[in-house]
Amino acid sequence: MIAEEKNNQAGSVDSNGVIVLKNLTKKFGKKLVLDNISLSIEKGKTTVIIGPSGCGKTVLLKHLIVLLRPTSGNVYLDQRRIDNLNEDELNQVRTRYGFLFQGGALFDSISVFENIIFPITQHYKITNWEEIDALVKNKLTMVGLDGFQKFYPAKLSGGEKKRVALARAIALNPELILYDEPTTGLDPIRSDVINELILKLQRELGVTSIAVTHDMTSAYKIADRIVMLHKGKILADGDADYIRNHPHPIVQQFIHGQIDDEDLLSLQSNETTSPSQFVSQNSKN
Amino acid sequence: MMVTNAINGLDNLGQFARFVFRSIAASVESCRKSATYPLIWTQMNIIGVHSVPIVMVTGAFVGMILAIQAYDQLAAFGAEEHLGVLINISVVKELGPVLAAVMLAGRIGGALTAELGTMKVTEQIDAIKSMGTDPVKYLVAPRVLACLLLAPFLIIFADLLGIIGGYFVSVIHFGINSRAYWTFSALGVELWDVAIGVIKGFFFGAAIAVISCYKGFTCKEGAHGVGQACTEAFVASFISILALDFALAVFFKAIYNTLWPVKSLI
Repeated sequence: MIAEEKNNQAGSVDSNGVIVLKNLTKKFGKKLVLDNISLSIEKGKTTVIIGPSGCGKTVLLKHLIVLLRPTSGNVYLDQRRIDNLNEDELNQVRTRYGFLFQGGALFDSISVFENIIFPITQHYKITNWEEIDALVKNKLTMVGLDGFQKFYPAKLSGGEKKRVALARAIALNPELILYDEPTTGLDPIRSDVINELILKLQRELGVTSIAVTHDMTSAYKIADRIVMLHKGKILADGDADYIRNHPHPIVQQFIHGQIDDEDLLSLQSNETTSPSQFVSQNSKN
Repeated sequence: MMVTNAINGLDNLGQFARFVFRSIAASVESCRKSATYPLIWTQMNIIGVHSVPIVMVTGAFVGMILAIQAYDQLAAFGAEEHLGVLINISVVKELGPVLAAVMLAGRIGGALTAELGTMKVTEQIDAIKSMGTDPVKYLVAPRVLACLLLAPFLIIFADLLGIIGGYFVSVIHFGINSRAYWTFSALGVELWDVAIGVIKGFFFGAAIAVISCYKGFTCKEGAHGVGQACTEAFVASFISILALDFALAVFFKAIYNTLWPVKSLI
């Protein structure tokens, strides 16, 4: 039985956070992905959500911006319930957010420049294109990609796509930025560039950041607070030192990247069978 | 099991009805906002202009095949000069609109579903939402309007080439008198018949676009999911074209019979 952290108990969550989840449960069909989660996100801080693949991290992140609606429970933004708003109302709320998707989610039929101005064109009537050019240049400079304005996403590497996606996510100067696996698939140096960018955005723009990752180097570097999810529940919640010294074996196993006894036993008990053996065995039958 | 299937079926139907309603509302709103005109214009170019050649080829073959198939039957009665009526009324009223729409469903429907489906699985649709934009307004409305407005024009192209194709086979291949061919055609084919075919285009265009966009928006993950959505979009579009054609035929026939007496074609 997993011992849950104190602030995951129903009703005990701090309701003064910029985003508050209360008793959030999400099911896809019969599959329970998030199980009665309560969480309060502090303003101006970086909260990192960690956990093994498939534990519901991205699903949790998408609930914070109501890209997914909860099966039960509520989502609050500045103490206003937002999970029950209609799409038009949500579109207004979402202008306060920036979202960096795992694969970048750049629009591949338009250029980097057009990708970055997309949120601006959707909410403002552009009259001064020189200002827009300067704004795009500024955002691309922040992510170290000035000069890439005319490139198309297909011509960019994975790291460049993520950085352009980050430039797009901050185009409207959001108060909250959500990062879905910001360093996954990048080499260690590029990962560190992204980490530095996240820190820089928090320092320079004072944004509230919520990042989902299973990269512990990244988590320790950027987090003011780390929340660990396991099987749809919050297993650990605290700062980097608290997580490092957490007594729960699953937390220790995750942060040190160790295989558990059950998986090890399973690997040892399965002998490797080559395809040629398989064919010959079948042909004998 | 049957109850679960029935509930799932009703759920899907409800979701589709909601999508149709949102698409109509978004399309009406797009018509009122000049900022969306460039999006509609781009889609009109992709959907309409690029479809003209294939629709014209389809129309030409329909006319020619009708002439080849019908000549012997009419010639047996010595009524081959009436071939033009049969070809032209079939082309403008039924075969031109339906086959042009089927070609559109294959060319445009599949492309729309694949494009939107890929956008969904690569989270581009979620990205649009996350930036405070309604993807139905941004992606669906321009495509629906482009299909709705251009399908009737494409049907006119198909009709035109169907008539020309039928004429060439009838007059040049079978040697029917050209003046008689056109005289009987003019007597048998009314503006009403042409109008019915063109009006059908609005319905066919809208149905193809909405179904294809819906299938793209609801496609499952992965390459297999996108492929399956494309197949389902074409099948659903094809069936809806035939169903709409039947419903509209009944509707227009009732109106015609009310306004004018029924007359023989030949």
